Amino acid sequence: MVPLPKGVWGGTTPAVLAILALLPVAVPSATLATEILIFAMAALACNLLLGYGGLLSFGQGLFFGVGSYLAALAMIHLEVGLVAALAIAVAAGAAVATAVGWLAIRRTGIYFVMLTLALAQMGYFLAYTLSKWTGGDNGLLDVPRPPLALFGVELASLDGAYAYYAFVAVLFLAVYVGARRVIDSPFGSTLVAIRENEARAAAVGFDTRHFKMLAFTLSGAVTALAGALYAMLINYVPLDNVAIAMSEHIVIMTIIGGTGSLLGSLLGAGTLVLVGEVLSAIWPRWPLLLGVGLILLVMFLRRGLWGGVESLIARYRRRGEAAE
Amino acid sequence: MLNLYLFQILNGLGLGMIYFLISVGLTIIFGLLNFVNFAHGAFFMLGCYLCYALLAATGQFWLALLAGPLAVAALAWGAEKLLIRRVYHLPHTFHILITVGVALILQESAIMIWGPIGKSIPIPEALQGVVAMGKFAYPKYRLFLIGFSAVIGFLLWLLLERTRFGALVRAGSESTEMVSLLGADIYKLFSLTFALGVGLAGLAGVLSGPIRGAHPFLGPEVLGIAFVVVVIGGMGSFGGALAGGLLIGLVQSLMTTIWPEGASLMIYGAMAAVILWRPYGLFGRA
Repeated sequence: MVPLPKGVWGGTTPAVLAILALLPVAVPSATLATEILIFAMAALACNLLLGYGGLLSFGQGLFFGVGSYLAALAMIHLEVGLVAALAIAVAAGAAVATAVGWLAIRRTGIYFVMLTLALAQMGYFLAYTLSKWTGGDNGLLDVPRPPLALFGVELASLDGAYAYYAFVAVLFLAVYVGARRVIDSPFGSTLVAIRENEARAAAVGFDTRHFKMLAFTLSGAVTALAGALYAMLINYVPLDNVAIAMSEHIVIMTIIGGTGSLLGSLLGAGTLVLVGEVLSAIWPRWPLLLGVGLILLVMFLRRGLWGGVESLIARYRRRGEAAE
Repeated sequence: MLNLYLFQILNGLGLGMIYFLISVGLTIIFGLLNFVNFAHGAFFMLGCYLCYALLAATGQFWLALLAGPLAVAALAWGAEKLLIRRVYHLPHTFHILITVGVALILQESAIMIWGPIGKSIPIPEALQGVVAMGKFAYPKYRLFLIGFSAVIGFLLWLLLERTRFGALVRAGSESTEMVSLLGADIYKLFSLTFALGVGLAGLAGVLSGPIRGAHPFLGPEVLGIAFVVVVIGGMGSFGGALAGGLLIGLVQSLMTTIWPEGASLMIYGAMAAVILWRPYGLFGRA
């Protein structure tokens, strides 16, 4: 067997490249493929916190919504271009996530989860209250999707569904490779050490709160990027983008895919978006089936879909070895 | 002007007692079972709808007040036996996941049965009108709400502090294993406690029905508020749930006179303040 290349371009990265190339052909529309990547990005960010840091955050919807609103508002009121709008969203997401992290990591365990949920709910009411800016219940309408331009030079129009998909795919790849680098870095290892035993990590001399907060900052930045891209995809920011249901959605995707594996996040987001797309056309009450699915997952597939795939591969390999 | 504040303080007490009933259920369950019920808000929502349905079918509010919470508790008892007890030994993430699943099923079922638009619930005839106290008049139903939930709170306190069941629950909160080794049927205790806690959320739902009506998406909002109360009061504490519930109810109600749009926002501000000031809550232990 040829040894797989090491580093960020080895391992699972070629598989992701293949998926990115095939996705728009494999699913019914490029728009749907784009939506999958956007939510995969959000799930990836959630996975960084949950799978590697052991931090179950129900604040992800808040970061997603902050990204959506700020990118949209910057484009509408300040008339900034694509790159600037995304940069604003990322910066705002990072800032809000740092603030939420700063408050929430004062508590651990279940209190931490409840705090993130309560703070996210606060963001929801804030968006609802500031209806002059956010459109409140009606959502923020007419969000533009400006062309890709650098230093005033227009490089490409993103109006076409495939052009926008390509743009989002490049960003996704960058996030994926970046996330792998983070996980392989000393920072990532320290995060895992904190997840496994926080007291020990602290005793060894790590400032665990500092690391947790930094994980929040990163996660918030990526989630806000996803939120901004989503607003440009549907040209609209519904209030739902910042609701608890969005946080749940992102957490569910992450866990369905399987925590602790970045590829799992792509799998989880793809599965949930596709199943949602197919079922919601047939039966508007399909979240009921999602509820049943969650219960079945907890009962039978605790490591998520990716965990299921891994054990299938392991079984296949064992059978292969036995045959030899 | 003073009357306006008195009015809002009474409103706040009523709201606070509703929040107390929701949160004390959540907290009892967590205390004994070390289990976080993310479906708590959905069970509250079910209580609202049962109030609507029982009132529409029979016209008897007292029947709704009795049968509604019992039905919710019975459902919770069944869910505990069928699903919840299989995951006690797993990490909190799975508790959350399975109860989010249950919440989704409840929410979507409510939409299937009663439609996606909320229902308003009439105030029962015997409790319509106002009570006049000199120049000051206050709605009868809201006074009843405060009194009734205070009685329920007192009975609950008696149950937890003065009965064998309560002693087992409190002892189990300290050490489940010890209680089990002493010969108590711990699984039966778990089922009953889960049903009791969720039943209290159902009761709060029935009581709040005539004021706020029933809506399929009430669950997440109520869950958020219950979490705020519990974070403020400290998990597993009866007094904490009462103090936290009343504090949040009063803050929300008084804010409606000062800054109506921001009333819901302020309760989260209050929570953030408590967290900064006392990270373990007003009554919590480290």
